[in-house]
Amino acid sequence: MATLQKIYSDLDLTFNKVPGTRDVALSYDDQAVIRSVRYLLLTNFYERPFQPSLGSNLNKLLFEPFTNITASLLQNEIINVVTNYEPRVKVDHVNVTADPDHNSYSVYLQFYIGNNSTPTAVNLILQRSR
Amino acid sequence: MASNTNIQITELDFSNIKQNFITYLQSQDTFKDYNFSGSALSVLLDILAYNTQYNAYYLNMVANEMFLDSAIQRSSVVSHAKLLNYVPKSAIAPTATINFTVNNVGGATLTLPRFTSFLSESVNSVNYNFVTTDSYTVSTANSAAVFNNVELKQGNPVSYSFLVDSTSNPKYLFTLSDANIDTSTMQVLVQQSSSNTSYTIYQPASDFLTLNSESNVYFLQESLTGYYEIYFGDGVLGNQLSDGNLVLVSFISTSGTASAGANNFVFTGGAATFANTVVTPVLAASNGSNKETIDSIKFQATKSFSAQNRAVTKDDYITAIQQNTLGITFDAVNVWGGELNNPPVYGQVFVCLKPTGAYNLTNSQKQQIITEILKPISVLTVTPNIVDPDYTYIKIVANVFYDPTKTVFTASEIQSGVTASISNFAKTTLNTFNSTFNSYDLLSAIQNFDQSIITSEFNIQLQKKFFPNITAPTTYKLYYNTPLEKGMFSSGIASSPGLMFLNPANTASTIDGVFIEEVPMQTFGVESISVLNPGFNYQSVPTITITGDGTGATAYPVIVNGSIQSVVVTNAGNNYTSAVATVTPAANDTKGQSASLNVVIQGQYGVLRSYYYNSTNTKTIFNSNVGTVDYVNGIITLNSFNPLDVDNALGQLAISVTPKTSIISSTYDGIITVDPFDNSAISVNVTAKKS
Repeated sequence: MATLQKIYSDLDLTFNKVPGTRDVALSYDDQAVIRSVRYLLLTNFYERPFQPSLGSNLNKLLFEPFTNITASLLQNEIINVVTNYEPRVKVDHVNVTADPDHNSYSVYLQFYIGNNSTPTAVNLILQRSR
Repeated sequence: MASNTNIQITELDFSNIKQNFITYLQSQDTFKDYNFSGSALSVLLDILAYNTQYNAYYLNMVANEMFLDSAIQRSSVVSHAKLLNYVPKSAIAPTATINFTVNNVGGATLTLPRFTSFLSESVNSVNYNFVTTDSYTVSTANSAAVFNNVELKQGNPVSYSFLVDSTSNPKYLFTLSDANIDTSTMQVLVQQSSSNTSYTIYQPASDFLTLNSESNVYFLQESLTGYYEIYFGDGVLGNQLSDGNLVLVSFISTSGTASAGANNFVFTGGAATFANTVVTPVLAASNGSNKETIDSIKFQATKSFSAQNRAVTKDDYITAIQQNTLGITFDAVNVWGGELNNPPVYGQVFVCLKPTGAYNLTNSQKQQIITEILKPISVLTVTPNIVDPDYTYIKIVANVFYDPTKTVFTASEIQSGVTASISNFAKTTLNTFNSTFNSYDLLSAIQNFDQSIITSEFNIQLQKKFFPNITAPTTYKLYYNTPLEKGMFSSGIASSPGLMFLNPANTASTIDGVFIEEVPMQTFGVESISVLNPGFNYQSVPTITITGDGTGATAYPVIVNGSIQSVVVTNAGNNYTSAVATVTPAANDTKGQSASLNVVIQGQYGVLRSYYYNSTNTKTIFNSNVGTVDYVNGIITLNSFNPLDVDNALGQLAISVTPKTSIISSTYDGIITVDPFDNSAISVNVTAKKS
């Protein structure tokens, strides 16, 4: 049986073990891209050495007033970081919904990976941790 | 596993290091997302590259510090110097000399203790504390004690006391936590114990070959913290301390060169015995220096090592003198063998020293340098000899044209700015041995002051200054070491200030305001013949006849197109004081006419005479022959010169001459300098002119 050639392969920062081989678990293809997008969204400016503009300003925006303007800024920020730093992805649309009851924003990000016609979605809950 | 044969391990830059990792990962296919910023692999690569860069940079700096040439940290440089047995020099306190009189004292003798304080006049708005570094004892006479030539050093006395304890300080290493220490004033005593106050004076260790287990010596080094530390022998090289001993260290903490020039002191010692005191200044504070810089340590340590504590070559002498522990610093040092003197003096080494902040060393300083510095390390049969520098002062008159539309400076600002430029030029390019006065550099210095300066020119005069003996007739020879311009009266040799002589007509009175001038005389042959009128229509070469009070001069003309273009002197002849050259056309030449010539007489020597202005303001010759001038060799001789007084505070006479060339070089013991204390040494004339 022919094996499907994997296009993308990446480490997983959770460093889980593969049961059986006890090797470090890798993530492949769609999964690798989705994780990459998540990492980008969760990286703050100045976090990576010598690359001050890599990442997004989401963390700071969570400390801004809980308004639609902030939600809109979050949306822009998400589109910017993914467009600038994840060339494998074409953003379809982003929804940022304020959830005042839980002091959080829920993010729905839908994008296409490469030439794949099936959109992929990422759901995130952004909440201040302190 | 991936193979990578081309890994760049010398990279220091983060992005290059990361790119290296990426290049490495490109040759495998387990991980493919290394190129995407958001990937987990990229996060790991960042951390790895950051860590690699951090270590590479650190190792690079460590490697730098491992070599004397590239070390930056003072502690590293000092440590490298230590391998060369070199101890960096501390700051050195400037030394002043005073005479100190104490009146109304009882007893047969009086002692001025070590570290007695005097306060200086203000230098740059600061009054500095000066102290004695030795104790002086003199006999009293008529209830007064006179201390002559007391040396004061600038600074405040500091003392440390350390208890020797092998448990807490097993290496017996004692740190003197004072950044401004002058180690040359350090005194180290080792007291038996806190209850037994008998003590031994310890000396700084210098030559390890002479040390034994009984030598009472201490060793000095600069520590990692930049402070000096002392330590003691191990019982083999130098006496070892024992527990309970008390190490007492005292020294002066100085401000280095800041107080240079301080004079006029006030006694602030305050003891009751010293209630009625008079302080007379002798020498202003000089010879101080600041703590040795890193660059200086790098430079001196290697030189010191190559001399190996022996004075054999010229550089050995220079290094030994520069590194002296006597607290004297020098602007310039020159050394040469006596065989180069004229006439040669074999078996002697001549050392010429220009001390910092003074013109000459005192006799006692010279003696000290010979006996303490040079003699112990020089070759047995060679006698070191210290001579004073022979100063030639340059007076510069500069004429500067500037365009007032191109500057924001006023004429007087340009004048003072150019003066400062010239003075700076003199400071940086002259003032040392074997230097050459460079007219190009001088003009550049003037030109570079401001862009509005269109052009400039300068004239120089050379001056020799000396202190005439006013008690007995003395013959002086002044060597200018360059050919001199023959000048008559106002433009030639001149002396300043006025002199006082005994009136030969009436020995009970004196004549004041006598000056010296030159009369070019004692002429010899014909130097040259210049053409006043070339004439015309000469068909063949005419003859030139030279007539005058001398004999033997001959010359012939060079005819071009019937006129005399030039005259060639074939024989200069002898003993001419005046001569006339006539042109006689050849016998068959009836047309040639009108040429006329001018004869210039040679003169190597001139006579100096002295004159004064009498009561009716008439210039009167006082002595028609006080000496001679050798124009060719640049030597002025004053025979049996016996003035009674020189009309300035110092008693110093200056004789100025105009050199024939503006390229002036100094030799072995010669220093060319622009006198910083003479306000007329540099004069600048400024003319506004539109370019």
